[in-house]
Order: sequence, then C-alpha cells, then structure tokens
Amino acid sequence: MSRLAIGAALAVLALALAFAARPAPETAAGRVDRVSSELRCPVCQGLSVRDSPSETARDMRDLVALRVTEGKSDDAIRDEFRAAYGDWVVLRPPLLSPAGLVWLAPLLLVAGGAFLALRLARATAPPPPGPPNAAALAALRERVARDEEADA
Amino acid sequence: MTRWRWLAAAAVVALVLVLALGFRRDPRDVRSGTVGRPAPAFELARLDGGGTLAFRDLAGQAVVVNFFASWCRPCKEEHPVLLRAWERYRTSGVVIVGILYQDDEAAGLDFMRRLGGTWPTVRDEGGRTALAYGVFGIPETFFIGTDGIIAGRHVGPLDDAVLTAAIEAIRPKAPR
Repeated sequence: MSRLAIGAALAVLALALAFAARPAPETAAGRVDRVSSELRCPVCQGLSVRDSPSETARDMRDLVALRVTEGKSDDAIRDEFRAAYGDWVVLRPPLLSPAGLVWLAPLLLVAGGAFLALRLARATAPPPPGPPNAAALAALRERVARDEEADA
Repeated sequence: MTRWRWLAAAAVVALVLVLALGFRRDPRDVRSGTVGRPAPAFELARLDGGGTLAFRDLAGQAVVVNFFASWCRPCKEEHPVLLRAWERYRTSGVVIVGILYQDDEAAGLDFMRRLGGTWPTVRDEGGRTALAYGVFGIPETFFIGTDGIIAGRHVGPLDDAVLTAAIEAIRPKAPR
C-alpha cells in the first residue's frame, strides 16, 4: 500500500513539474520581437529589425506589430516583406531559393570533403594480400620441409 | 586519374562562372522584390492639404514615384533633374509623384515651395508605402508603366540621362 502511495506521489510530482515547466504562451509583444529579429534592417549593416535603432527599422517593427494585431501568421508577415525586399530581407533565407545556398553549401562541402578523403584513403592503402603464387608456395613448402627436418 | 582532372576542371569552371556573375552585378543595385510586379497601391494625403492622391487615380499614365525628404541632400541635388523632366513630359501621359518619406509635412511643403515643382506630392505617414515598394534609402525612384507594373527603379540621385531613358521606356507611345 505504501509503495502505491509513493508511486502515486511521484507521479503527481512529475505531472506538477511538467505543468510548471510547460512553455508559456507567446505574448503579442514577444511575437513582434521574434518576427522582427528574423528580418534584416535594409539601411543597416547586418542588424536585425529588432536590434536596429534606425527609423526604417522602427517603421518595420510598427508594421509587424500591426500585422500581429490583425491576426496575420508569421509566414504571411515575412512574405509581405519578402515581396517588397526579396529573400534578402529574411535573416534565415528559405531553403528553396538562391539565398538558400547558404544552408546547402556547408553540407555539400562536407559531403565533398568526406568523399575525397575516402577516395584518398583507398588510393593510399596497401593492396590486400592475394592468394600466394606458385613460386611463393614452393618456397613455403621448402621452408616447412626444412623446419621438419631440423625438428626430426 | 583523368576523371579527377575533369572534375577539377569542372569545379574551376563553376567557380569562374559564379565569380563572373557576381562581378557583373552592379554593387549599387540593391535588391528589391518589386521590380517586374504590380506597383503597390496607395492613397496618401497631399502635402498642400488638397485631399488625398490614390494610385488608382493615375491609371493609364506612366508614373514616376520619387521618394524624397527635405533633410536629404541628394534629393535637393536631383530636384532640378525632376523639374526638367516634368516640364518636358507632363503633357505626354507621364506624371511624377513625390512621396515625402520620414519627414514632417511643413518641411516637405517648404522644400517644394523653395525649389519649385508642381507635380503632386504626398506624405507617407509611418513609411508604409515605402516599405511596400521596398525602399532602401532616399532618394529612390520607381518607374511604373501604363500597365501598372514597376518597370525599373533607381537608387540615389537621378541625372538627366537616367531619368530620360527610364521615362522613354515607360511613357505611352503616340499612335501612328
């Protein structure tokens, strides 16, 4: 009975911990922040719209906030900016676009390097020993016979 | 080993092609997604207080949309170029629309009064229209054909040759 009680208590504790650690629902401001951090500021050098103090970035943040309050999805908001500025404006370019090469290039390089390394390793490895030829076999037999004579 | 030579040669050719394409691009030609697409519609308040100007009101005309501000020195430099083009093309189905960007109305109005120009000027409150057009920095000018499609854009101050060539490409041609 006490084991059952301990098991139940542990289960309740685990459930309570899981409940407490669940991700909090994202607020509207949090969404504006997140989407803005994924957009590139057009008048800055490598800054996101969230991080830039420029007036253009502020206008963009305001537009993101407006679209969030209108209930637009993240994709719809990003697409609106992509329609105006191209894929360049998203800091994580979609995979299926010319800019998506930034994702594929490292994979291609690693795959190419691994292929080359494999080829080189194969080319420099010593050839596996094949079956002995007749001369080697004769020499071996002669040696065994000598050893046997010596032992006798 | 011949296969490896072919592979190396192909890699070198690919690299040269990528570099050639990269160097052919004008580094000042910043990206915009709007060229070749329908011009974003707008309805903005006129600087002179005379109501609003809607993009649909300009249907059938070639439109030169010029984003400017009174604090922008290159805008001041290109203004005489716009004035000359306006005088030359205003009766040929071409309209210039000045869109005041990141500036206050009084300063924009004063800019136009001091430097001249009677083309319609409007104010882009909150920069929504500039964002819809994909403006990077002013002065920036978009050339819209009579079909409503953005045929081209120019970033930076215009000169006579650039503006004339762009307008000639979009203006309605007289029937023969």
